[in-house]
Amino acid sequence: MTYLSHLYLPGALALWCALLFAIAAIWGYSLVLRGDASAVIFARRAYNFFALSVLLAAAVLILLLLMRDFRIEYVYQYSGMDLPGHYQFAAFWAGQKGSFMIWLVWGTLLGVGLKRAAGKAEPSVMGFYLLTLLGLLFILVRENPFTMLTQTPLDGQGLNPLLQDDWMVIHPPIMFIGYAASAIPFAFAMAALWRRDYDGWAARAFPWALGGFLVLGTAILMGGYWAYKTLGWGGYWGWDPVENASLIPWLFGTVMIHGLHMERTRGRYRRANYVLAALTYVSVLYGTFLTRSGVLADFSVHSFVDFGIAGYLIGLLAVFILLPAYLLISRLPKVPTNRNEDPFLSRGTFLVLSTITVLAAALVIAAGTSAPILTRFMKSPSQVGPEFYNRVNLPIALLVAFLLGLVPFLTWRGEALTEVLKKLRLSAGLALAVTVLSAVAAVRDPLYLVFVFLATLAVASNLEKVVRKWRAHSLSGAGGYLAHVGVGVILLGILASSAYDQSTKVTLEQGVPRKLGDMTLTFTRYLARTASEKERLEIRVDRGHGSTYLAYPKMFMNDRTRQLMVNPDVHSLALKDLYISPIEYDPGQPRLELAKGKTGTVGGLEVRFVKFDLQVEGNAMAQMAAGKPVTIGADLEVTQGGITRPVKALYRMNPADGRVETPPAALPGGGRIVVSGINASSGAVRLDVSGVSNPARLSVDVTKKPLINLVWGGLYVVLLGGILAAIKRVREVRIRASIGELE
Amino acid sequence: MNKKILYVLGGLVLLAFVGFSLSSFTKAMTPYVSYEQARSANRMVQIAGALEKGSSSYVREQEALLFTLKEPKTREILRVRYKGVKPANFEDAISVVAIGQYDEAAKEFQANKLLVKCPSKYQGAEVRTYS
Repeated sequence: MTYLSHLYLPGALALWCALLFAIAAIWGYSLVLRGDASAVIFARRAYNFFALSVLLAAAVLILLLLMRDFRIEYVYQYSGMDLPGHYQFAAFWAGQKGSFMIWLVWGTLLGVGLKRAAGKAEPSVMGFYLLTLLGLLFILVRENPFTMLTQTPLDGQGLNPLLQDDWMVIHPPIMFIGYAASAIPFAFAMAALWRRDYDGWAARAFPWALGGFLVLGTAILMGGYWAYKTLGWGGYWGWDPVENASLIPWLFGTVMIHGLHMERTRGRYRRANYVLAALTYVSVLYGTFLTRSGVLADFSVHSFVDFGIAGYLIGLLAVFILLPAYLLISRLPKVPTNRNEDPFLSRGTFLVLSTITVLAAALVIAAGTSAPILTRFMKSPSQVGPEFYNRVNLPIALLVAFLLGLVPFLTWRGEALTEVLKKLRLSAGLALAVTVLSAVAAVRDPLYLVFVFLATLAVASNLEKVVRKWRAHSLSGAGGYLAHVGVGVILLGILASSAYDQSTKVTLEQGVPRKLGDMTLTFTRYLARTASEKERLEIRVDRGHGSTYLAYPKMFMNDRTRQLMVNPDVHSLALKDLYISPIEYDPGQPRLELAKGKTGTVGGLEVRFVKFDLQVEGNAMAQMAAGKPVTIGADLEVTQGGITRPVKALYRMNPADGRVETPPAALPGGGRIVVSGINASSGAVRLDVSGVSNPARLSVDVTKKPLINLVWGGLYVVLLGGILAAIKRVREVRIRASIGELE
Repeated sequence: MNKKILYVLGGLVLLAFVGFSLSSFTKAMTPYVSYEQARSANRMVQIAGALEKGSSSYVREQEALLFTLKEPKTREILRVRYKGVKPANFEDAISVVAIGQYDEAAKEFQANKLLVKCPSKYQGAEVRTYS
């Protein structure tokens, strides 16, 4: 019963009900599979009650957050009195428990749609799907978000200031829709193997696979954009394990989409698609294990700690590896599939090559991310740096670009090389022109020139197809081509913005213009915090030819955690971004905090704090014990213009009324010094110096990022293409289902 | 064209890629080492330690951040120089991981990347009771 008393019952009960109803639904569907067709009504009802219970539990958690009920450990840990309203929602998914909760909520809602869309396969598909949800539910019942504290604190610990950003409010929930959606093709595939019914599942799973690909892609885009706009290190992708954990399933999902396309059009990949569906889902679980179990705690900036679910996650991973492995091994050899009869220079062959290439990228990134585990058994655990990913993915990117450029002009039947080359004339001419242009502009590395040529070829040849489809009024069939245009554009953007960025660190003295290449920067002023804006620093940037703008990088202290937060200023131009990231701000307030024996400088003055003098006006300790006024002296050594002299500054305090008196000590070379505070516990002294010149200084990192807009723009185009493709596949399923082709 | 030749060619390309990946992997590995090993290792490594309070300062002349790390167990210390943009909440880090290489001439560890661990950064500290 002590366990119960530590739980907030309305929420905990909802979770237990959800668990009960989920098991009931699985039992109901298993009855249907054993021949009791009428049990389907029971199973569906159980699912609906399960969904209601999950939503209820989520609603209770949101309510507890909104009411700032700090009895609840989770609310205490992630919320606070001063946290603005909409960030209460961000607090929902800020911690481990809440993020599993939001994952479960999305999974449950998607399941409502899946139940209807699964057709005759509903019992088996829902059975497998519910198993995946059960895994999440077990975590939540074990690590209950409704755990209560033994005492009620007055205030919570507050939300991590890094997460107090609008992008961070929407980025995680979208990521979890993508994670939840990855279980759907998995459930379709496993159910098909289970039933030994190898047709039809691919067509039904196709729109879900595309949907998951789209959502996960959107989430990755948002995460990158957030990192670029707010973190200030200048990049959008750091190959951090947490980032990779979302990229790997996305790449597997990309391969799966192409596999499903091959199955639909050529009857091929009929075996591979089961493996791909399993890989996509298992890679989501594996990524979760890597980032949540604490195994990478020393290797990731996101520094997740183990909170006791590592063993559980390993178990979950084992179940979802062994189950598909058993089904794949026992059933796969019996799946009928078409033999490869395509000639070499045909669309089929090249699609196969592209899928292998993307698969290689996913596997290599997975291996890199797993490095700390792989090397654990060697003498010292290691991780691999970003240079590994960049190096290995360069040939992959080149190959992908090459294949993307060719595929649009290949037919399924196959073609003679001369024919293909003839069709490529226009695109290749365009690509060559862009390559020459970029060679003139900046690109000298021959490998990068090849990169530019191939990427532009991919853009041009796919664009040509999109235009043709558009003219033929069948834009709905152009989704794939459009997405590939986007991939080419992204590749160009990545190359330009990462290989040709120029970064300079510079310290600006307030009011003094500083020339930096073709720009002139002037740090004009410091802007104090207002109701709507944090503390900002204003820099006037003169780009020549009379074009000037004001940059406002931010540097502020989070009130609660006393963390120094930094936001860059990003100025987007057509061909490049100017990225100004603050590094260090010295307000020029002549104030020093010195521990005993330490030296500090202020405005050309060097001050060393030698020791406290407790005998200046009577014995300070004795006076203090007697409750009488106390005087403490600070013995300093001040070096001014190469001459060092001793200075004694006094600090008087009357314990009776708390009044403090600090007579200024004159400095031999001009100026005065005051002891403005004493830290008894650390033995440090705070000194204010006046009458010396000490302007405010701001150190910034100024980076030019050429063509970075291509990265974002290209991703949008990929997603747009994905949407077109998804619409087409949804329609197709509807039509085929209506004529009974999918049963 | 003969299909078998194509398969063999494809297989060779894959093999070459696997070899290339493996060599890149071993080259890019940054093992976790002690300060002593970091001083003698002529390669990229990573070290961890507690940030010595008050030891960090930004040196404008070099546009670099300098600080001292202390190994929690052996109490060994190491000076670290970092030229990148200072990570948010660097000052209240309980532990800092620095990835880089030891500079024999400057007697300093040149860090290219810092991982900062702060109390309750992503996951709230476990608190059960308090006064």
